[in-house]
Amino acid sequence: MTKPLLDVEDLRVRFHLRTGIVEAVRGVSFQLGRERLGIVGESGSGKSQTGRAILGLTPPPGEVTAKRLAFDGINLQTASKRTLRTLRGGRISMVMQDPKYSLNPVMTIGEQIIEAYRAHVRASKAEARDKALAMLEAVKMRDPGRVFALYPHEVSGGMGQRAMIAMMLVTDPDLLIADEPTSALDVTVSMEVLRILDELVSERGMGLIFISHDLKLVSSFCDRVLVMYAGRVVEELEAKNLREAKHPYTQGLMRCLPMLADDVRPLPTLNRDPAWAL
Amino acid sequence: MGAVTDSMIDIQNLQVVYGTGRLRVDAAKNVSFHVEPGAAYGLVGESGSGKSTVLRAICGLAPITSGRVVVEGKEVTSPRGKAFYRTVQMVFQDPYASLHPRHTVDRTLSEPLAIHGEKDAEARILQALREVGLGPSFRFRYPHQLSGGQRQRIAIARALILRPKVLLLDEPTSALDASVQAEILNLLDDLRRRLGLTYILVSHDLAVVAHLCERLLVMRNGEAVEETASAALRSGAASNDYTQALIQASQGFTRVAPQPVRAPAA
Amino acid sequence: MTGAPLPLASEPSGMRAWLLSAEPHSRWQARLGRFYLGWRAFSRNPLAVVGLGIVLLLILMAIFADVIAPYSPVAGGDLRTQRLLPPSETYWFGTDDQARDIFSRVIHGSRITLFVVVLVALIATPIGLLVGTVSGYLGGWVDTVLMRITDIFLAFPRLILALAFVAALGPGIENAIIAIAITSWPPYARIARAETMMIRNSDFIAAVKLQGASTPRIILGHVVPLCLSSLIVRVTLDMAGIILTAAGLGFLGLGAQPPMPEWGAMVATGRNYLIDQWWVAAMPGIAIFVVSLGFNLLGDGLRDVLDPKAAK
Repeated sequence: MTKPLLDVEDLRVRFHLRTGIVEAVRGVSFQLGRERLGIVGESGSGKSQTGRAILGLTPPPGEVTAKRLAFDGINLQTASKRTLRTLRGGRISMVMQDPKYSLNPVMTIGEQIIEAYRAHVRASKAEARDKALAMLEAVKMRDPGRVFALYPHEVSGGMGQRAMIAMMLVTDPDLLIADEPTSALDVTVSMEVLRILDELVSERGMGLIFISHDLKLVSSFCDRVLVMYAGRVVEELEAKNLREAKHPYTQGLMRCLPMLADDVRPLPTLNRDPAWAL
Repeated sequence: MGAVTDSMIDIQNLQVVYGTGRLRVDAAKNVSFHVEPGAAYGLVGESGSGKSTVLRAICGLAPITSGRVVVEGKEVTSPRGKAFYRTVQMVFQDPYASLHPRHTVDRTLSEPLAIHGEKDAEARILQALREVGLGPSFRFRYPHQLSGGQRQRIAIARALILRPKVLLLDEPTSALDASVQAEILNLLDDLRRRLGLTYILVSHDLAVVAHLCERLLVMRNGEAVEETASAALRSGAASNDYTQALIQASQGFTRVAPQPVRAPAA
Repeated sequence: MTGAPLPLASEPSGMRAWLLSAEPHSRWQARLGRFYLGWRAFSRNPLAVVGLGIVLLLILMAIFADVIAPYSPVAGGDLRTQRLLPPSETYWFGTDDQARDIFSRVIHGSRITLFVVVLVALIATPIGLLVGTVSGYLGGWVDTVLMRITDIFLAFPRLILALAFVAALGPGIENAIIAIAITSWPPYARIARAETMMIRNSDFIAAVKLQGASTPRIILGHVVPLCLSSLIVRVTLDMAGIILTAAGLGFLGLGAQPPMPEWGAMVATGRNYLIDQWWVAAMPGIAIFVVSLGFNLLGDGLRDVLDPKAAK
């Protein structure tokens, strides 16, 4: 077996609050190659905190521990701040939920992509500009030159998210973490954005971690799915074998969605077994 | 009360326009539909389709530029009278924003009773809580002591406490987790049958609308695209390309897919 | 739900359990529980507790001034032997040029200070709150008119307007208070308006509108309670400024009139003896400083508790 791109073992994220310690992630382990991995869970399952912890973006009162947290053989826990900085945004990128909040409102989209590029790659302004335009084209912007000069508030949600993807992929990262990248978008637009993301990921042979609450979407998009509940991975399965899910939580999550195809009434609800959280 | 009608709600050529001149936005253009008593009607569309605007125009939160909104055979007045609010109530999308953060459940539920001078508040509050599947122990809690699903139940209880005939539901489950969504959908389904309510449901989720409603209107850019029945949708009988694209998208991601329908450039 | 809390925090018991109950059984329990949580957050800030202590001390001093003060604040002693004595065991803060005990005057001065503070708060806060919420909620021309009026008041320099006011109505503590009050409400109106405009379009206001609530009912029952907390914070923080303005007016001879033991006026008298008899001006000056500081600390602490945006 080849060396994994990302190796996570016993990842824990703790928040020290006034009311006590809350453990948001409780011993998550997985390995990622150059594949599409989905992490699914409901709010509070720790899926987003897992993604953030890998990038070292855990918000202040949080504390991250792990037996192993290695990216391409580099130990992320002991790496220097400088190494982390070059990795982050360079070889590992992250796309967040809402482009409205992740793009700088007072810089044009083009400038932001150039800045992201030049922060990690030594390149002249002209080279960076060419690269940015090529990237905007790669995310299927109809008129890259025009979008280049636009401010984030001047574009629609779908275009903003595509711009965000362009910005995150401009440095040719090896790993992309996408946290609910299409939840703020309309369904038809989100399919378009996903299609672009899908193409780029397979073309460039990147690893992708796709974090979402939407089991249907994740299983149709990814190769492998981790199902999280109360900070733990309760089940790991191949996306195509989702129907054979063993854990009652995964089964319940699948069944409780209303389906266009058949009319089940009342919808089966999820009886949360306290034992799942142990 | 003389006119005999077979519609609970009748919307005729409804148009909603915001602003004038260059800032003019046609939020709803010439929308017509009607809903029978006891039926559930869905408005489906993506953001900017005007589905929420139609809902807000019915209850008076958006202006009616032209056209008619008829409830129980009577055209609504602006501003709506107290009698209107006893007939029509609304449940909002975000349960985190639709409850007053400083009011207990008790205060939230007693407010409509106080406004309409209803007696017997104590018993009615407890009954409303029971109806939405919450016990009396929830009565004196603040919203921050409730989960998203519980909050939405309180919002439904608040809408039901005046015994309205029509419930306007504005994306009532889109802010909730999938498993909680199922519970709320079951509750709404059940309440409609038990209390004989009429629903108008707005949602971007085709599956949710098809689950709760018998008939639905697909909307796009402020216009009605297609009116169809949920049963027809289930069998895949959508005549319109856009409806077809929505059905496609609701099935999840497909690797080799037909070209998605692009919105015309604005 | 953010993960499972570890069983590290000890289980509350008795009274605390009742207050912190997730299922209060009455309106009162719910309200007290909220208050208790606020107090817990407040008491975790030591400086805020010091501020609260100072303010409570001021209140106690004002109530029990007659008991605490060893001498009369107005009548002096023997002008030949007891004038301008330095602080000693008999006269803790020394005596002034009229041979009056400065300690007793400072104690009695707390009444005037408290009187000013309470009255200004009682006049300015409701005006600001009402103007701000009505203006912000109704919008349109009502907003324009009310905000222009606010702008006019905001454009007056506080001390100068107070001077003009006092000049017209005659010097005296009451006129000084009115003058301070009418110049201090505009910022409150601004704050209340800004908060109201944020609240106005929220779903819970739309919901109560859809229940048929009248506009006054919405403003008083639903908007005002949400504006109140940030206003309380602001008023508390402004108290220091109000005390200083009142003292400033006293210093200029336009506020409290002699022989009232107003701290500002006392500093003014001490000005003549600043070099040789420093205590005459310094003692009331220290009192002004401590009380202003107390209100500021209290305000800071209250902000941490009441302002959800600043709270973590």
